Amino acid sequence: MTVPFKLVSPAKLIFEGDAELVIAVTTEGEEGILPRHAPFLAALKPGVLRANIVENGASRRLELATGEGFMQALPDRVTVLVDRAVTFEEVDVAQTRAELAGAPDSAAAEFARAKLQLTGHH
Amino acid sequence: MASVKDLRGRIRSLKNTQQITKAMKQVAAAKIRRAETAQKQARPYADALGEMLQDLIATSSRIDHPFMNPGKAGAPPGVILMTADKGLAGAFNSNVIREAERYWRQRSDARFYTVGIKARNAVRRWGLGDRPGWPLNAPSKLQTAHELAQNVTEDFTAGEIGEIVLVSSKHVSMMVQRPEMRQLVPIERETAAAPSTGPRGSVEIEPSPEFVLSKLLPKYLEFTLFSAMLETDASFYAAQLLAMNNATENAGKLIDELTIAMNNARQAAITKELLEIVSGAEALTGT
Repeated sequence: MTVPFKLVSPAKLIFEGDAELVIAVTTEGEEGILPRHAPFLAALKPGVLRANIVENGASRRLELATGEGFMQALPDRVTVLVDRAVTFEEVDVAQTRAELAGAPDSAAAEFARAKLQLTGHH
Repeated sequence: MASVKDLRGRIRSLKNTQQITKAMKQVAAAKIRRAETAQKQARPYADALGEMLQDLIATSSRIDHPFMNPGKAGAPPGVILMTADKGLAGAFNSNVIREAERYWRQRSDARFYTVGIKARNAVRRWGLGDRPGWPLNAPSKLQTAHELAQNVTEDFTAGEIGEIVLVSSKHVSMMVQRPEMRQLVPIERETAAAPSTGPRGSVEIEPSPEFVLSKLLPKYLEFTLFSAMLETDASFYAAQLLAMNNATENAGKLIDELTIAMNNARQAAITKELLEIVSGAEALTGT
């Protein structure tokens, strides 16, 4: 069973399709959304967003480091709004490390940590 | 009557001008396409954000956020004036600036925040000194919108300004750009909650409606500014396209007129010369 899932940033529509499961990091902790979830709305903090998406009948894992945002789940759809999102391939580990070292307490640092977490460098 | 040489010089310089305006027209046409794409790509976010806000307002019985309440009484209004960085776009910038100036004449205590170099210059010209300002074409418009939103929010919550007003250009069509003034904060409840999609039953909001609202409303302001910047960009290039198209046509007309004048002058000179030769020859044979 799947649910229509949309991931958008102000710059573009990042993903639109069907998902079996969406896991995002809310301010209260990780939250997993399955199809036919009860109406739900939460603020997201920078973290790794994961989703099992179905494309052309095949299931695939979608993983992105995301900035601050919001997640809205309704029985018939899930919408995630984020400031920005990057995929594994887009992360420059050395540069991200430098960002993190430069300002360890800023809001940008949380996003940098999410990027490192995505690439498996903690 | 101007000499052939003078006219030829003027035609040549007009042709150069025409080449420049033609090039600028083509650049504007390419840029407007890009600006409109950016606008289109921001739309899904706008729709989703608006929907979440509606849901939130419909669900929570009491909304208590500074943005939803009137600002400090008697505080001056905060005006965000948004123009392009460059000119050569007809009356595009001056239309927007005039709209803001009209408001400023009524509310001389208004505090200005500017986006775009033309806006900054205008506010300086009015003698308001250096107000916080950002260029329209920064590497990241999102970053600019974020900083601007933070700036006005701080002033609003500190009671230094009582409301936040945006003066920018509305991209009505390729031919029409209209200056527009709208109040951003306090957010009017009707606009925020207008086309409700009907009750959805109870929505579980984590950790609390107040908390999510306190995150969502600043984001809403930030995004509104961001999309106004995209719209200003698109209208600017549309206005420039039109202005440069007119300039190219006008240069073409002038070139045609001058070419006729030059041909006349040249013909007149040739006729005069022929007459001189003929009369000279006749004078010789006559003897």
